[in-house]
Amino acid sequence: MTRWRTITDRLIVLVIILAAWQIGSAIVGPYWLSSPWAVTSRFVAQMLSGELVRHSGYTIWESVCGAIAGGVPAVLLPFLLRRHPLMVAILDPFMVGGYGAPKLAFAPLFILWFGIGIESKIALVASVVFFIVYFNTLAGVRALDPKLVQMAQIAGASERHVARHIVFPAAVPYIFAGLRIAVPYAIGGAIIAELISSNRGLGYLVQTGAMNFDTTSVFAAILAATLIVHGANWMVNASERVLLRWRPQTAVMVDAGD
Amino acid sequence: MAQPPLLEIKDLGKRFPARAGREPPPWVIQGLSFAVRPGEFLTIIGPSGAGKSTLLNMIAQIDTVTAGEIVFDGQAVNSHDPRTLQPGVDRRIGYVTQDDNLLPWRTTIDNVLFPIEVQGRLNDETKAHAEMLVRAVGLAGYERYYPHELSGGMRKRAALIRTLAYDPPMILMDEPFGAVDAQTRMQLQADLLKLWELGRKTIIFVTHDITEAIALGDRALVLSRQPARIAAEHAIPIPRPRNVQDIFALEGFAAIYERIRAAIQ
Repeated sequence: MTRWRTITDRLIVLVIILAAWQIGSAIVGPYWLSSPWAVTSRFVAQMLSGELVRHSGYTIWESVCGAIAGGVPAVLLPFLLRRHPLMVAILDPFMVGGYGAPKLAFAPLFILWFGIGIESKIALVASVVFFIVYFNTLAGVRALDPKLVQMAQIAGASERHVARHIVFPAAVPYIFAGLRIAVPYAIGGAIIAELISSNRGLGYLVQTGAMNFDTTSVFAAILAATLIVHGANWMVNASERVLLRWRPQTAVMVDAGD
Repeated sequence: MAQPPLLEIKDLGKRFPARAGREPPPWVIQGLSFAVRPGEFLTIIGPSGAGKSTLLNMIAQIDTVTAGEIVFDGQAVNSHDPRTLQPGVDRRIGYVTQDDNLLPWRTTIDNVLFPIEVQGRLNDETKAHAEMLVRAVGLAGYERYYPHELSGGMRKRAALIRTLAYDPPMILMDEPFGAVDAQTRMQLQADLLKLWELGRKTIIFVTHDITEAIALGDRALVLSRQPARIAAEHAIPIPRPRNVQDIFALEGFAAIYERIRAAIQ
């Protein structure tokens, strides 16, 4: 019941946004603000021609590579440092600095270092994803109930067993919380890097669209990026639901709207 | 012919380290000595905060000893240094704690099998034994449930048989039935006695409930208030197998109860 209500209410919100957009476009003129209809037709046309698919695929590939390059060490590091609280304390100000530094400002540097190819985009995405996932995983490792570890040790579990059977499963909800925040940043980061310098990807489409005063093309690329974020989010939620099926239902329901 | 004790506590003492710039806190346990025979069911009664959990933590080697000695199976096993602690003394001392400490991401059967799994002893025989225990405590049908889907009493049973399943020679129990209602508690006590009759493990069972101590134990020790030491010792000559439901009516119960109650004052 509430599920259908949510869907119909969402459709109403969508209609209001589209109507406001259409009216705005009529007032300022399609030259400055393209209309939803024009954007949708361009989106469909570019999808069918394969152009949008190709550029989207490129952006997705950068995001996935960057998320792996940043996410895997971000998950492993807190586990390796679990028994070395002093190291965590030493690293902490640097990690906080890395977390707070505006990574997008590093984009020109990454292009300088890694060139205008895929490497500079992966580097930017990885730097964004790493710090978000690191702090979330660290929080998960720290929130661990030491009594569960003692129980396991008394039962004869080795340090490796404890990491695998106790620390990791306990940290998974925290890792997912980090991923959920990191995924839109990863895709956004890839697009920003493309905007600055690239000859492929959705950021490139936005850039060339804007240079040609073709707002329809810009919006079509943004629409594609939005759909990719939604798809990625859905995948994170779906895998979380499978991996965390041991949690009480209420905890899962909160984010199960889609 | 007296058997050598399985566990001997000699003049044990414990005080927690002082916080920076403060007087060291008083001794929690001081001059505590007792011994446990193999196959004995020993109960320890003490008021809240008497250091009962601290005592079991030291025996289980998850906490250090400040003074004295713990001898298990002829070997001194205590440690003053947290880094050389050997939790569970090489899987020979099991520990059923107040909290069930079930792993929330494992089902009932996987929680029960957890110690066997990490000990690398998972085979058809150990699995069958674990399944027998699951049935014996009435958890059949709940094997694939996660802990949050079980009632408090069921979780206690799962935690209990998790330790029994890997068969350590000695088991410590720290008020394992503390947080359940009276009815469930009596059922859990009956389950425990039934399981104990099967294997006759050496058990140290800590409680603040005099009735529970008498219903379960061969012998009951009474701890004094801080610093904890042995205030009294009572043999419990009530014959086994016992029925916890009508333990009150049995001959001798009232007299033992009165003596223990007097010792606690």
